[in-house]
Amino acid sequence: MSAGGIAGGREAGARRVEAVIGVLGGLLVLFFAIAPFVLPVLTNPFWVSIAAEIMIWSLLAASVNLLFGYTGLLSFGQALYFGFGMYGVAIGVSALGLGFWSAFAFGIVVSVAMAVVAGALAVRLTWHYFAIITVVFSLIFYFLALTLKPLTGGDDGLAFSLPPMFRFGETEIALTNQTVQYYFIFLVVAACFLLMAVILRSPFGRALVAIRENDVRAELVGINVYVMRLASFVVAGFFAGIAGALFAFFGRYASASYMFYHVSGEAVVWAIVGGTGTLLGPVIGAGLLIIIREELSLYWDHYLLLVGAIVILTVIFAPKGIAGLVYDLVERMVGGPRTPGAAAERVPDAQREPAE
Amino acid sequence: MDLVVALAINGLIWGLIIALIALGLSIIFGLLDIINLAHGDFFMVGTVLAWFVVQSTGNFWLALLLVPIMGLLFGALIQRVVIVPIQSAAALTIVATFGLSIMLQEGVRATFGAAPKRLLPPIEATVPLFGIEYEVYRIFAAAVSLACLIGFFVFLHRTKLGTWMRAVRHDRETATALGIPVGRVYTITFAVGFAMAALGGVVAAPITTVDFRTGVDILPFCFMAVIIGGLGNLQGTAAAAVLLAFMEGVITAFADPVVARITSLCLMSAVLLLRPQGIFAGATA
Repeated sequence: MSAGGIAGGREAGARRVEAVIGVLGGLLVLFFAIAPFVLPVLTNPFWVSIAAEIMIWSLLAASVNLLFGYTGLLSFGQALYFGFGMYGVAIGVSALGLGFWSAFAFGIVVSVAMAVVAGALAVRLTWHYFAIITVVFSLIFYFLALTLKPLTGGDDGLAFSLPPMFRFGETEIALTNQTVQYYFIFLVVAACFLLMAVILRSPFGRALVAIRENDVRAELVGINVYVMRLASFVVAGFFAGIAGALFAFFGRYASASYMFYHVSGEAVVWAIVGGTGTLLGPVIGAGLLIIIREELSLYWDHYLLLVGAIVILTVIFAPKGIAGLVYDLVERMVGGPRTPGAAAERVPDAQREPAE
Repeated sequence: MDLVVALAINGLIWGLIIALIALGLSIIFGLLDIINLAHGDFFMVGTVLAWFVVQSTGNFWLALLLVPIMGLLFGALIQRVVIVPIQSAAALTIVATFGLSIMLQEGVRATFGAAPKRLLPPIEATVPLFGIEYEVYRIFAAAVSLACLIGFFVFLHRTKLGTWMRAVRHDRETATALGIPVGRVYTITFAVGFAMAALGGVVAAPITTVDFRTGVDILPFCFMAVIIGGLGNLQGTAAAAVLLAFMEGVITAFADPVVARITSLCLMSAVLLLRPQGIFAGATA
């Protein structure tokens, strides 16, 4: 890093960039906050439930982002914790007879417990091996869920009826009310993203980025790399579990097919296309690709060709994703004097060639 | 007992075909450092191309000759267009090959159709084998796979190109300094990897179904062979593929095929965690 006369100007520029990015992020959140009132007027009430779905999936993508974008570990198995959250809720309600909140908590607890066990083993590995073992773990439980039909319903899934959230005498508040459901999802997802922002600004978040940049150096300055990676893995599993629990409430069922590696792969795609290493990148990625799925599939049966092409083009031309492009654009417009090589500094180590 | 014998032989034969495909995955993995999530689809494209060739010419043997050549060309093209621009960002190659996998599956669904089709074996006779009537074509498929496996190892150890491939994997800088065209070796390696998967596809097409989804089942199996055999240990990969398929075949005789798959996956986790160099390391070093 060079310190010089232009450093002050650059700092002010950086603050302006942060401010503009903050406003853009705020607008994105505002859009989701008012979507149930705006979307039915602009288009069609059907899009409100798509917006809810986008929020849930962006939470799963955010769990990939925490691991890959901030810790430098590419997990191809986040669907496992999503599936556990999902089945926790479904089995909790249908088999254990739990109420709404306890089923929700149960879903989160089982997915976190699974993440602790899987993470304790998986984070001993890095790089290729980490990606592979996360897939393997998710496949093991996918196949288990397929065989344990009495418990999981296998491929057909396990449907359940929604328990009420609150009951005041005769009146019940439940997710069967579309507006209640939307805002419940909105509040939970927003709280998770807020928590993620807090984590990333905390010393723990800084330690994760240090590990992403160079794990040997991080170890040398006294960071316990294993424990930090495990903690990151567990937090990612927590987010994925919440996403799964929300999706169970949203769809009123759970199915083994959501634990397959294609779901994990989709989450990785959303995170990468949206922009890893940025807080709201996963929301952009999940939003864009789900809108493409919902809108384009009506006219073109083979829209997945376009999705595959977007993935490949993003990786080749915009490895920092859409959020990265937006960031660069804003920086060019209001960022003031630019430092050559500044962009290169932000490429995490994990995306470079591995050191032997 | 007949069932056990049949499933064991099936496993053995299937293992030889898988060994061919997994070897393609292994050289791409070992030399190019790419986790190729589209490799199962390379196999699937092989089965579909075989189906098209047989449909248009009625000759399976022509497919056996043509499809690997098409695989070489496709592989070289894909490596140039998709892999070269991102070779320095190694983690992203997983994501790129996932995108490739989506495109290949959807491309085949758009052209070939979504309905699975069957390709009749070109040899319909059966022979008695260990007390059961066994299809001659399956034995032929195993023989072709075995011949290709041996051919590949001869190529790797007895030809200039094969020596180059081993040299680049061993030490890229020195290989470059010695004047080996590293870029071309990368392209050829990827192309050969594709061709081996495609060849596996032609050989397997009359045994399995021709369907745009078959790659999804094959991929985890190939990865198991590569990991259990040891990353970059090509002989180990081939041996592990045969062992795994044989084991799954035998387990399937007594339990659900899914139980067989879970067993292999658990074995793979254990190898990853305890012996990441593979179970054969040391024996071949």
